[in-house]
Amino acid sequence: MSAPAHGRTRRPSAVAMIAVYAALAVATAAVLYPVLLVVKKAFEPGRQFALSASPVPEDVTLEHFDGLLGASFAQHALASIAVALATTVVGIFLACTAAYALSRFRFPGRRTALTTFLVVQMFPASLLILPLYVLLDQLHLLNSLTGLVLVYSTTAIPFCVWTLKGYFDSLPRELLEAARVDGAGPARIFFTIVLPLARPGIAVTALFSFMTAWNEFIMASTFLTDEGKYTLPVLLQSSVGQFSADWGRFAAGAIVTSVPVMALFYVLQKYLVGGLTAGAVKG
Amino acid sequence: MTTTPPPRPPLRSALRDAGIAAVVLLLILFTAFVRHRNGEHASRERRRAIEAAQAVARGDTPVHATSAIGVVRPALSSKDHPYLARRKVIDPGARAGRERALGGPDAPAADKLLYDAAARYDREGPFVAMLADGSGRAVAAVTTARGPAIAVTAPPGTPEGLPWLMLVGLVGLGAAIVSAGAVSGRGGIGVGVALAALAVPAWMWGGAMLAGATGLAAAGVGVAHARGATDRFAAAIAANRVALSFLAPAAIAMAVLVLVPFAVGLVIGFYDHHHGQWTFVGLDNFAKILSGDGRAFDDPLNFWFILGVTVLWTGANVLFHVVIGTTLALALRQPWLRLRGLFRVLLIVPWAIPNYITALIWKGMFQGEYGAVNSLLEGVGLDGVSWFSSWGTAFAANVATNTWLGFPFMMVVALGALESIPRDLYEAAEVDGASAWQRLTQITLPHLRPALAPAVILGSIWTFNMFNVIYLVSGGKPGGSTDILVTDAYRWAFERGERYGMAAALGTIIFLILLLWTVFGTRVTRKEEAA
Repeated sequence: MSAPAHGRTRRPSAVAMIAVYAALAVATAAVLYPVLLVVKKAFEPGRQFALSASPVPEDVTLEHFDGLLGASFAQHALASIAVALATTVVGIFLACTAAYALSRFRFPGRRTALTTFLVVQMFPASLLILPLYVLLDQLHLLNSLTGLVLVYSTTAIPFCVWTLKGYFDSLPRELLEAARVDGAGPARIFFTIVLPLARPGIAVTALFSFMTAWNEFIMASTFLTDEGKYTLPVLLQSSVGQFSADWGRFAAGAIVTSVPVMALFYVLQKYLVGGLTAGAVKG
Repeated sequence: MTTTPPPRPPLRSALRDAGIAAVVLLLILFTAFVRHRNGEHASRERRRAIEAAQAVARGDTPVHATSAIGVVRPALSSKDHPYLARRKVIDPGARAGRERALGGPDAPAADKLLYDAAARYDREGPFVAMLADGSGRAVAAVTTARGPAIAVTAPPGTPEGLPWLMLVGLVGLGAAIVSAGAVSGRGGIGVGVALAALAVPAWMWGGAMLAGATGLAAAGVGVAHARGATDRFAAAIAANRVALSFLAPAAIAMAVLVLVPFAVGLVIGFYDHHHGQWTFVGLDNFAKILSGDGRAFDDPLNFWFILGVTVLWTGANVLFHVVIGTTLALALRQPWLRLRGLFRVLLIVPWAIPNYITALIWKGMFQGEYGAVNSLLEGVGLDGVSWFSSWGTAFAANVATNTWLGFPFMMVVALGALESIPRDLYEAAEVDGASAWQRLTQITLPHLRPALAPAVILGSIWTFNMFNVIYLVSGGKPGGSTDILVTDAYRWAFERGERYGMAAALGTIIFLILLLWTVFGTRVTRKEEAA
């Protein structure tokens, strides 16, 4: 964002300038300090969190990253990638079809469906854990990545439906009308015209679904009991558990885990604010 | 849809309605049948297990087949392995006083059943129960002078099948009644009577309640058919079938994975769950929670204490988020500011980091011995603090973490709102000689309010439900006193002996609080917009 064009800017007073820069500098330092500590820990030998407050490492080593390669980290990363990708595919399919129905058709129950997608977001995930646990247990889907994918893809649906509906709303009606006159059926119109045109919207919701699944901790930690199946969040939490905390490995793992989603976040950021404050409530 | 449906052949429409309703009712009946059969089976097996155990106690051979029997002697710990309790068993028919070791490399696999049952007998006394392995066997233990006499029944044969002949007969009879009704112009009566016939198996398998419900459903479908409601509904579905088929996958997924669990959660709240046993307890769980269950108000397990902590937690965080977020947004909006883009990108870093990682990082920073926060304190000459051993410091650690990760959202919302304030307003104010303070309080803040109100509602709901920070940073320490409602509900379910009923009841209460808050919040927001 560049500074807005502004005609006759009055020179601000020195006090105001110092105050503004000081506030921003302090806030930025407070934001960066914990991040730098983690980076330092990732490159510094030893299992303890920090022996000094300085964010500069005294000794640099790659042993923690090497340790990740040696450990089962790759296996857990694979589990996380599989869950997140599957969630994205399932979630996008469900959200695209539903958003298309809500955007292009008028039918009884449409308003109810739209409100339901909003209200559902208000159920905090932590309250659905117990009933989902009981249900997944009945379906023999506890301790399975499939169960996790099913649960995750529905938690992302409401946001995706609302975002995609906005995209579909903006497609020119004449185009779809022309296709119909030419004899294209509803499925064909949807797959060959609507979906290709809405690619940017689909990309945004895909990234969002991926991020949601990649970052989810508590359900994964509750539903997965087999250590071999842990996704990265559960693995990271267990690496700094009560009895054997290895902060060096945690820091290295945390960096590897969060850098990709942080990149995604910066891509998504401007859509997130709009989508979330449009009335959608994420829990 | 108010258009009149095209006239349909009465027979087809009657058969369609009766058919769909019958399929739904038969599915319910099938579940009732399985429950009924399993119930009968369980009580028979339990009876047989008791009879067999009593026979073993008398020294007789049980009448029915068993998979393990014997009198198990009290546990003795061996000298070499003090934690390994060993037991001996008197096999039935063995000479008096003749015992063999229970378990061991050459022992029959069924010895484990005897060992587990003896251990349970030591805890609970005589008992009878179904084995939890899903094999359909029952186990019973009765007291004898030498130790519990234990019997496990043999695996049952194939369970009794569904009485298909009766169901086929009912369906055929029903089809005949429906056709007769439709042909004679009384389709509604035909449909109703045919469906009502299903009340007979419902009575057999589910009792009077299910039979009554079946009868009511039959009458309902019959009346709806006679009034033409089902025809109109079918016509509406047919007219919108493209839209509905696009909506269906998501609708079904949401129903199965959100609405059903939600309903299940509501129902579980009325049950007690103990050692795998569900008991209906009505409003007991709610009464226990709301009355504090005999605990003092300052007891960390009292609902009102936790509610107080939750409200304080939410209020403090939202306040810090709004104040810090707005201040930084105002600073970023200064027209002469350099490096604006850089500051903005850096300041939203906390939002980009997954919040469980943030929570774990801060947990590390607040550690007593090696934490960075204590090192900083010592650096400026203060003493280190044991952060998680008193309520105030543990709570402060949680709030610090959540403030850090939450303010960027408010900052971004405030930035967006500031951008939409027309510049002319400021210029006009400047011409009129308004001071900077006056411009802030008279122009900026009033314009920020409507944009911040929904963000505050949203932020308060997020914070109210912020499970990860509490669970991972303080973990409720000390003694559960920094838990909020959602983490407490979680602990009832998964950390306090699977008290699912309490957890679900607390979940319902949390949901009601959130609902009230949202309704109240939207009211206030609307009023604000109207003003």
